[in-house]
Amino acid sequence: MTTTSEIEQMISRIGLGDQSAFSALYDATSAKLFGVCIRILNNRAEAEDALQDAFVRIWQKASSYAANGYSPMTWLITLTRNLAIDKLRARKAPTEDIDDVLDLSDSGPTPEQALVAASETAQITSCLDELDADRAHAVRGAYLEGETYQDLADHHGVPLNTMRTWLRRSLIKLKECLSR
Amino acid sequence: MSQADDHNEDDLVLAGEYALHLMDADDRRAFDDRLTREPALRDLVRDWDEGFVSLAAQIAPVAPPRHLKSAIQKRLFDTPTPAGAPRRGWFLSGLFGALTAAVLALVMVVVLPETRLAPTGPTYIAEVAAEDGSLLVQARFDPASNALQIDRVTGNALPGRVLELWLIADGASAPVSLGVLPDGAAGIVPVPAELVAALAGGTLAISDEPPGGSPTGQPTGAVLAVGAVTAL
Repeated sequence: MTTTSEIEQMISRIGLGDQSAFSALYDATSAKLFGVCIRILNNRAEAEDALQDAFVRIWQKASSYAANGYSPMTWLITLTRNLAIDKLRARKAPTEDIDDVLDLSDSGPTPEQALVAASETAQITSCLDELDADRAHAVRGAYLEGETYQDLADHHGVPLNTMRTWLRRSLIKLKECLSR
Repeated sequence: MSQADDHNEDDLVLAGEYALHLMDADDRRAFDDRLTREPALRDLVRDWDEGFVSLAAQIAPVAPPRHLKSAIQKRLFDTPTPAGAPRRGWFLSGLFGALTAAVLALVMVVVLPETRLAPTGPTYIAEVAAEDGSLLVQARFDPASNALQIDRVTGNALPGRVLELWLIADGASAPVSLGVLPDGAAGIVPVPAELVAALAGGTLAISDEPPGGSPTGQPTGAVLAVGAVTAL
């Protein structure tokens, strides 16, 4: 299993232009990051584009990684998720049902999955549990599906401004919980 | 609640909306601008990213198609000067394949020994520095003794590890070891005669290695510091 510090070291070496470290990082993390792309984009071809963009960005940004204070998997997942959402926003309407896409995946635990599960406490989950169920659902929808305020308002059948207020209040409560 | 608290709460929420990617394109751009100027705001976003990321633990990994890796590598590495590569993209790039250039550099030295190895050759200096300032070594090559005078200004080897000095000849992508740095802050590292010519236009680098230095002849640990060699 690839440890967090090994991934961190790979990123440092990529920052120095080490192509073999780039290859190793791809092998260790691409399945997880591709999963993130598919989850957000719900479309394999677009997810492949997003994953390519993500690894190009990782190569370009690795030299500044050490200064940003992120844990390595958070940095990789956040960077990838943001690129995938940018792609999602650039079009509208998913082209495949997510269940069809996920059927193609091997859902067994992999080292990458175990890594993320082991290195992160599930604090966010217990904090979300303290929110009203529909508000917690909205936060998850934003993070995991890349939904906009308008998407969330439509799905929950509330006016846009109501959704904004929900979300903002939920963020304040979440922050209180996460800082405990 | 004071005004300062209100302000902090606004930024806290904005940072959360940014992390969730809920802002529209204009607001996101404006927030990106603020992030470049406001470290405290970057910290808020990072805290949210670290908080939210465990939600991604429930996302199942999916093996990407095999061709994707080579497509990415081709996009990044298959041009002479990759547009997106880091500034030192050439460095360490050929741990296996690109010894050729170093060998060529050595052949040149062997072929042209008289001109390159004149005893009154130039004095070279290099400042080998980590990007974050955690390690700074000044090196000065004395042509009379064919040795580098090393002055470790800042930084140490990690416990149980050593610092190894490398020379990368101009145009070469693989480094050649000059040996492990002495324990003390100041010391001498001899330069093999056949490598002296490669100092001109070359680069010095320091890597983190196990005791005794790299077992492979190439850096095995993190490359900690890099500096160009200049002639005095």
